[in-house]
Amino acid sequence: MANKIDILGSAAAIAKGMGVTFKEMLSPTVTEYYPDEPAKFEERFRGVHVLQRDLNGMEKCVACFLCAAACPANCIYIEAAENTEQVRISGGERYAKVYNIDYNRCIFCGYCVEACPTDAITHGHGFEAASYNTSTLIKRKEDMLAPIPPGAHPPVVTPASPAAH
Amino acid sequence: MADLVKLTIDGREVQAAPGTLVIDAAKTVGIEIPAFCYYEGLSLAAACRMCLVEVEKMPKMMTACTLPVAEGMVVRTETPQVKAARKGTLEFLLTNHPLDCPVCDKGGECELQDMVFRYGAGESRYNETKIHVPEKQYSPVVFFDAPRCILCFRCIRTCNEGMGVGALGVINRGAVSEIAPSSGDHLECDECGACIDICPVGALTSGTYRYQTRPWEMTHVATICTHCADGCKTTLGTRNDRIIRGNNRDRSGINGEFLCIKGRYAFDFYDAGERLQAPLARVNGKLEEVSWSEALLLVAKRFNQVLADGGSFGVIGSNHTSNEENYYLQKFAREVLRTSHIDHHRTGDVVALVDALSGQTGKLATVADLYERKAVVVLGADLSLEHPLLSNQIRANWRHHQAHVYAVSAGTVREDKYAVASVRVGNAAETSDPSRFAHPQGKASAAEYLAALEQLRDKLKAEPELVMLFDDSFKGGDVRKLVEFGESLGIPVKYIGLVDYSNSRGAIDMGLTPELLPGYKASGQPGLHLEEMLAAELSALWVVGANPFQSGAARKAGFLVVQDMFLTETAALADVVLPAASAYEKNGTVTNVTGEVQKLKHAINTMGAKPDLEIMGFIAREMGVAGSLGPWIPDAVFDEIRKNVRGYEVPAPVIATGGAAQTAPVNGRVPVELRPDLVHSDHNGLFASGTLGRYSKVLHTVLESRLSR
Amino acid sequence: MTFSPELEERFAKFLTSYPPGRQRSAMIPMLLYAQDELGSISDEVIDEVARRVGVTPLQVNEVLSYYSMLHKKPLGKYHVQVCTNISCLLMDGDKLWDHACKKLGIGHKEVTADGEISLEEVECMGACSWAPAIQVNYDFHHKVTPEKLDQLLDSLRKKP
Repeated sequence: MANKIDILGSAAAIAKGMGVTFKEMLSPTVTEYYPDEPAKFEERFRGVHVLQRDLNGMEKCVACFLCAAACPANCIYIEAAENTEQVRISGGERYAKVYNIDYNRCIFCGYCVEACPTDAITHGHGFEAASYNTSTLIKRKEDMLAPIPPGAHPPVVTPASPAAH
Repeated sequence: MADLVKLTIDGREVQAAPGTLVIDAAKTVGIEIPAFCYYEGLSLAAACRMCLVEVEKMPKMMTACTLPVAEGMVVRTETPQVKAARKGTLEFLLTNHPLDCPVCDKGGECELQDMVFRYGAGESRYNETKIHVPEKQYSPVVFFDAPRCILCFRCIRTCNEGMGVGALGVINRGAVSEIAPSSGDHLECDECGACIDICPVGALTSGTYRYQTRPWEMTHVATICTHCADGCKTTLGTRNDRIIRGNNRDRSGINGEFLCIKGRYAFDFYDAGERLQAPLARVNGKLEEVSWSEALLLVAKRFNQVLADGGSFGVIGSNHTSNEENYYLQKFAREVLRTSHIDHHRTGDVVALVDALSGQTGKLATVADLYERKAVVVLGADLSLEHPLLSNQIRANWRHHQAHVYAVSAGTVREDKYAVASVRVGNAAETSDPSRFAHPQGKASAAEYLAALEQLRDKLKAEPELVMLFDDSFKGGDVRKLVEFGESLGIPVKYIGLVDYSNSRGAIDMGLTPELLPGYKASGQPGLHLEEMLAAELSALWVVGANPFQSGAARKAGFLVVQDMFLTETAALADVVLPAASAYEKNGTVTNVTGEVQKLKHAINTMGAKPDLEIMGFIAREMGVAGSLGPWIPDAVFDEIRKNVRGYEVPAPVIATGGAAQTAPVNGRVPVELRPDLVHSDHNGLFASGTLGRYSKVLHTVLESRLSR
Repeated sequence: MTFSPELEERFAKFLTSYPPGRQRSAMIPMLLYAQDELGSISDEVIDEVARRVGVTPLQVNEVLSYYSMLHKKPLGKYHVQVCTNISCLLMDGDKLWDHACKKLGIGHKEVTADGEISLEEVECMGACSWAPAIQVNYDFHHKVTPEKLDQLLDSLRKKP
């Protein structure tokens, strides 16, 4: 008697297990074939930063240093400079001559994005930041700037002498 | 003192002297009444309406900044009505104020920002377009952004009253009111930048600090300005070994928050393109860059050689180097190089003054005395151009205490405006010349000044006390005559002998003269003076931070070593040039014109340059004599100075914590012959600062903008 | 600079009309009379008045820019001031203003090409009971209608 119950119990268990198997076989697959295929992200994924431009192609960043102030990892370094008639980089009076983020230290918390009054800094979906050489992990403004939107003609897109730091 | 008035503020008993304003009385018990236009020391404006408080038995709210305390007054500062009034005032102030805080230089230290954060409404009910006016440049260092202005008139008042210049005013009325400069579209002023500092918002911005950084990004280092002898504390905002701005908003020094153009902007010489950043040595007749070790070895070898050959050394010190450096240098010269040929450019006859005052104590005035004493006589110097701080102190004294000021000079001076008596003597220079900012306004002899003083004798006798300032018109015996005149008045008289540079006074105190050892002790060893050293055929001449060959004299010395920041006329003649650090790049102490010792603080590093003390120490080490000279650490040398130099027994904690302590004058005759012929002041104006001033871009730009008009 | 003997006499009197040390109080009457004689207040006048009352030219400029009845630019021979403040506005003062502008082809604080007439839109002149009111130089005209204004302007032109 007890034997029969055991058999039935086992069969039920197998059926249950196989049920899951068959269900999963029919449901859409969630496995991502990264790196064979590009990775998919939720909209809100916080990846490597992108410095945005406005519709005219000017940089949105006005070098207010609020992102640097908000950063808990202290990984943002900015040098500000004034826009002039000859060199006009951003919409405001000031622009970031140097804008570096040290990805050795960045914890992708998003505080900088939240602090930004001009929506200049955003999280992109870039995530392939790993490197064998930590010095390459300091990204400069030029590495993070969004491309100039098609049709826009910003007055000057790069300073006369590129700021090296 | 009259009886104190008792009143109640927010339920707390407050006692205040009659005439105290409610806003100040509240402060004494820790109650803050917000205000923009109220500023301690300036006249009252009641323009911003931020300080409205409720007072019992008064039908309407009162402005706490203009309301004197009264017996039994009951003031409330936190009622719903007061809160609503503050909110309303701020809403009005923000009607046209742009919300460009992220780009505004004031963002982070803006009083309007703070007030709105604390007392303001989160949202505005205004949807209308804000009035926008383009930014204007009033001078090389002053920019004005009209929409940001909240019309508190602090700038106007500080310029009028504080500086005595009156270069700012307000034109138009209502919403289109604007701060206007004195002369059409630009400022005709001292370019001191006080208006920028005092601006509660970002309406007035600094030409040099604009858009450079944000306040919280800087490190603030309080050090002493290295230009004139007044010894103002300037708090340098630094970032990444760059000085970005100078001010003294915390009023931590003897100057309160006063600074002239030099203290606020002319730190920029440190970054001049001409700055030396590597030692130079003469190779085949040309100066070429060499390493520090090569250069030091070269100097040490040569010095030892000259010593071994029994050659002669000459040493010329500086008016800018610290007391420690001067002390170490004279010790080096006297003990190691065994020479008495040591001198510096004397800019005022301090020796004669100290000698004339022998046997008396408390006769040297401090900077504070100029603000507190009842009467001041200014002899010769155009104080507002040559010693802006001293001039400011006297002006504040007149404004706050109605002090009696006597101006005795060759040309017109700013003190005339409020002096009880102005006496003109000698020959006045052409005053309409814009370059007067760099030149004295005329010349008169000590005899003429003394004659003018005789005329004033009766008036001066009637004063309860007096401070006398004199420039290099008085030298040698004339100083004694002046002191005799002062002492014959029968009232307490204090004296200030004006000198030119940041440590001119310290250089004399530290014995950078052949006849005197540190502390005015006779050396007993005759030595050559500066001019004689240049003319003599010395085996080696060592110049530290000075420019004696500026006159174009030919070099006679066999070997010339120069320590300087720049390739000056003197450095260009040298065999070895050692790049020195500026006063902002080292620690140490300096003594100002009134004998007050203050601490220099290391603010930044400049690559390649070393403090003079370190350079001297390294030379000593290379020569193998470092042991006898002691450590070349500023604190250690200062300890030695405190122990060995008469008058420098100042309390160490006062100096260490950034305070100022006056060095006591020597009590007893100075046992040497006076040398009035060696004393000569450069009479630098507001926009000049000797050789150093040449390398300041700001001073240049301002002077050029003056001359081009 | 010097002014006409009458003006000099007035100025001398103004300067003694105020307590000692308060000569600056004479600034506004001096400016007004100088303006009446010279038509406008030039920089030269500003400097001279500043010197005489003992203030800086900037301080005279402050006063000058504050009061709308003081002008730095020359006005017309006849300065027509139209009130558009509340009482006059209710009585069509604004339409009167538009009418005047259209007729003369000039706007606020502008002068006709021949230099005869200038226009200014002003605030209350204290003639509310007789609104809408206008003022030509120092003369008031009450209950003005567009027709009356036309007549008035024509008559001004014809005056010698």
